[in-house]
Amino acid sequence: MDRAYEPSLADPEQAIQYALPTPDPGTGSMGSGEGSAGVTTPEAVGMRVRKRNGGSEPVDVNKIVRAVQRCGAGLDAVDPLRVATRTISGLYDGATTSELDRLSIQTAASLIAEEPQYSKLAARLLGTYIDKEVANQDIMSFSQSIKAGVEAGLISERVAEFVQENQRKLNDAIDPSRVALFEYFGLRTVYDRYLLKDPHSRDVLETPQYFFMRVACGLAQDPAEAIEFYHLISSLVYLPSSPTLFNSGSQRTQLSSCYLLDSPEDDLTAIYRRYNDVAQLSKFAGGIGLAYHRIRSKGSLIRGTNGHSNGIVPWLKTLDSSVAAVNQGGRRKGAACVYLESWHADIEDFLELRDNTGDDARRTHNLNLANWVPDLFMKRVEAGEDWSLFDPKVVPHFTDIYGEEFERAYEQAEAEGLASRKVPARELYGRMMRTLAQTGNGWMTFKDASNRKCNQTGAERTDGKPSVVHLSNLCTEIIEVTSQGETAVCNLGSINIGRFVVGGEIDYVRLRQVARIAMRYLDRVIDINYYPTAEAKSSNQRWRPVGLGLMGLQDVFFKLGLPFDSERARALSRRVQEEIYFAALDMSCELAEELGAHPAFDETRAAVGKFQWELWDGVEVEDPARWDALRERIKTHGLRNSLMLAIAPTATIASIAGCYECIEPQISNLFKRETLSGDFLQINNYLVLELKKLGKWTPEMRQRIKNAEGSIQSLEELPAELRAVFRTAWEVPQRSLIDMAAERGAFIDQSQSLNLFMETPTIGKLSSMYLYAWKQGLKTTYYLRSRPATRIRQTDSSVSAQPGEADSDVKDYSDNDAVVCSLENPESCEACQ
Amino acid sequence: MLLDPGMDLTLRPMRYPVFYEMYRNAIKNTWTVEEVDFSTDLVDLQHRLMPAERHMINRLVAFFATGDSIVANNLVLNLYKHINAPEARMYLSRQLYEEALHVQFYLTLLDTYIPDLKEREEAFQAVTNIPSIKKKAEFCFKWMDTVQSMEACRTPEDRRKFLLNLICFATCIEGLFFFAAFAYVYFMRSRGLLNGLAAGTNWVFRDESCHMAYALEVVETVRKEEPELFDDELRNSVVQMLEEAVECETAFAEDLLNQGVSGLSMRDMRQYLEFIADQRLGNLGMAKRFEAKNPFAFMDLQDVQELSNFFERRVSAYQVAVSGDVGFDEEF
Repeated sequence: MDRAYEPSLADPEQAIQYALPTPDPGTGSMGSGEGSAGVTTPEAVGMRVRKRNGGSEPVDVNKIVRAVQRCGAGLDAVDPLRVATRTISGLYDGATTSELDRLSIQTAASLIAEEPQYSKLAARLLGTYIDKEVANQDIMSFSQSIKAGVEAGLISERVAEFVQENQRKLNDAIDPSRVALFEYFGLRTVYDRYLLKDPHSRDVLETPQYFFMRVACGLAQDPAEAIEFYHLISSLVYLPSSPTLFNSGSQRTQLSSCYLLDSPEDDLTAIYRRYNDVAQLSKFAGGIGLAYHRIRSKGSLIRGTNGHSNGIVPWLKTLDSSVAAVNQGGRRKGAACVYLESWHADIEDFLELRDNTGDDARRTHNLNLANWVPDLFMKRVEAGEDWSLFDPKVVPHFTDIYGEEFERAYEQAEAEGLASRKVPARELYGRMMRTLAQTGNGWMTFKDASNRKCNQTGAERTDGKPSVVHLSNLCTEIIEVTSQGETAVCNLGSINIGRFVVGGEIDYVRLRQVARIAMRYLDRVIDINYYPTAEAKSSNQRWRPVGLGLMGLQDVFFKLGLPFDSERARALSRRVQEEIYFAALDMSCELAEELGAHPAFDETRAAVGKFQWELWDGVEVEDPARWDALRERIKTHGLRNSLMLAIAPTATIASIAGCYECIEPQISNLFKRETLSGDFLQINNYLVLELKKLGKWTPEMRQRIKNAEGSIQSLEELPAELRAVFRTAWEVPQRSLIDMAAERGAFIDQSQSLNLFMETPTIGKLSSMYLYAWKQGLKTTYYLRSRPATRIRQTDSSVSAQPGEADSDVKDYSDNDAVVCSLENPESCEACQ
Repeated sequence: MLLDPGMDLTLRPMRYPVFYEMYRNAIKNTWTVEEVDFSTDLVDLQHRLMPAERHMINRLVAFFATGDSIVANNLVLNLYKHINAPEARMYLSRQLYEEALHVQFYLTLLDTYIPDLKEREEAFQAVTNIPSIKKKAEFCFKWMDTVQSMEACRTPEDRRKFLLNLICFATCIEGLFFFAAFAYVYFMRSRGLLNGLAAGTNWVFRDESCHMAYALEVVETVRKEEPELFDDELRNSVVQMLEEAVECETAFAEDLLNQGVSGLSMRDMRQYLEFIADQRLGNLGMAKRFEAKNPFAFMDLQDVQELSNFFERRVSAYQVAVSGDVGFDEEF
């Protein structure tokens, strides 16, 4: 029996005629397919659906309407009849009831661009569908869901026992109403990829609420903790990163997001061992950062064979294939980023690895690339001097030093004539910029800023060698030391800051509370985590780093009506970060008091009383007294974690939470997300609300925003303040993003995934921008986002040929034409001149 | 005038800079088949597609196997000869390369999708074996034949014939047959299926959009130069041609969808074809014929800027050409 729809009782509503306009005999047209006036064609009326029990019944519009109505409570702008009629229009005769359910969900989702409330409607319909799928397997409670997971071999014994012992408390804590917090895209993502599935039937064994509780139980030591963490994540104010959501409570608890591997040593065995490490680490949803600084360059002599090396490119080609081959259980593809220091003699080949022309044997389409740039290089660029390139075999010591020590060693090697060759520094810098413009890859990350401002590089290690940061990670927000014996690990989570806006301000008290709870469970992950390699385990236990981040900063600014680059937005972004940093340190100190400081605490800068902001120039804090007090406590108890903050891109978890990603401005007021779950249209709900207030949310307005590729800057009838708030990432000055990142950076002990945006990049603009980013002291930058050179023809606009009256002398351009043509064809648009 | 017979070689002064711009923009969108990752497609084909959907995809790729080759042939045999401006021919040369790239893409696709050699060969012969595909090919050949023997566009009658061929390939073949084919692909992708096919198709779609825009620009240029060519008879022929194309494509859709695909009904597909036909008439500055609205929200999606989650897909949006010198005081 299909539970989505009530049986069709004698119902007065049934008397209403939904049958509709007969097709126009002249054209054979099937009607408009729009509006409540509805559409059912004669064929649809005779259509039948197959039920689960094998029987069949006629398709009934009323049933669908009622099911939609039930889910649409409180959504005043949705039209259940419209969803029902459009659903039927897409159906074929003999479809199953479950196909009908799915189609009604898709139909509701397809209306989101017209009216954002359809997102909630689609989410609720999907919620009902998931509940039914779970209930059909006789799973009626959280503990039954865990039991089913155990039987399917998916749940760890520890969690199984924990739930068994505490089933009453845990079952009672489940709050099914929380499903209402989801937007469609978020719930869809959870359903398609996060909920545990029966290995054979592929039906999901948990509802979204059971899923959150399962994740919480995986990290908790007692029921009170489980319930505390369940409430935190199910209310979407904080979410752990995807690996934790995927694997917490499961048989294989690989909960960390990132692994950073030092460059393999320069020999064949070490190089091949590294491929195995990468495969093991990416198998369970980790992203990989991997340096190649130590590998000899092209033309270097190989003593064993008396031949010459082909340099790093062939090794990277193999890495490329290896990464592509490891597919994380179909849930997400393996991914890696290779770092190379700017003095490495293969740097130019490295910069071409992502080009889509040239010899494919020297291209790596799956690898991400990052430049690990020493200050000296940037200084030479600025001064217009030459830059020497070296074979690491000749200068093996370069990799393990930074700052002045590196500069001395580099200049000495130059003086001794050890360089392979010289290039003008600006020429190489120009090539780096070109790679960024053409591929978005080749990220600029700064070796010296990363080392000087890293808490872990405070002192020599106990074995007398210096601790050095050799690279960042896949998303450039993790800055941790590595060595041959230490693979850096980080587990991440992000606070959804938009949810802390109360009465025109951020609720800082609650923010600190949430940051503290988050820290406790991030720290917990370190002990529960499954480590795919011994190097990862030993490193993580020594340093205990975590990465507490942030998402939804743009939501805050929209809620408060602040332009992204306004003074208030800047001050607020900095304050938020300061509060989170303070709360994290405070909690980590408390954990140290309770459980002991991390073993390498004495090697950190914190051990000598240095906070991150004291490593930046001229930073003053809100309330120095509380920092002094904290410093004293840290002196006594130490810290449980050497690193605590990192702002990750949050792509997937921001989708789940329904907020804007990370610290980023919105990409567009209307855009499409392409994911493994399908394509989803995202519209700026905040803008729609504002436009509704102005009475301007009309189909015409929608079309104009779409034609303008999600920008409202050309819609001059809208108030200027509104347009300033709703600018896109392409329209906000990038200088302000860099300034904000630098101010915030003083309170981030690791780093941030800072994307930069440029509609039409040129070498001149890029070289100015990245020099500025370096001067501001940023540790890392991430993608350069640019836009496609030409676009797909819009299906619903007549762009190029003007209507027949084009013969007349005076052309009448609508705003619409002007917007479209300026985007499609900036050089030759008459309307704009 | 653009259609005057001859082999003009003079680039300066440039008579039609718009074509040169189109050529330059096309260069910026260079992609290669090697960038497309089909790995998840194979899993989808084996495990996630319903039999009815698999049938639909098999037919569809069989159409792709020959579609672009026909367009390329027409370009070489019929368009290049008559569009007499070197800058316009530069664009055509670039388009020819793109058509070859598309052929390569679909060749790789079929080789990947159909492991059985015999089945694969059959797919490549679809144009003779499968009636619904044969019918579409015949439609194309019919409009090629009308100009094939024409040496030069001397008379207004010749020029109208040429225009009909150009309009047919732009609006019916690239603008309707291909757009319909893209709809099936995007329907699958809107549900998270066949991402490799969709990724490549996205690039093909972008190229085809440009080809169509170019052809329409040629039509528009000729219209400005020789408005008298655009008489009622020509207009009527265009309408008839589009009607015929809609019928051909409807028959193809019936073949594809005959096993029932939920969310893609025959009714909606027909309406979509009529909607597209109206769009094409609009592109030509003519009145709508069907007054149909777009029933496919997932096609609407294709107009919207993409934001790829890079863990999941490659970002297909980067520019190829970039210029300028290193400097430190530019605005950003």
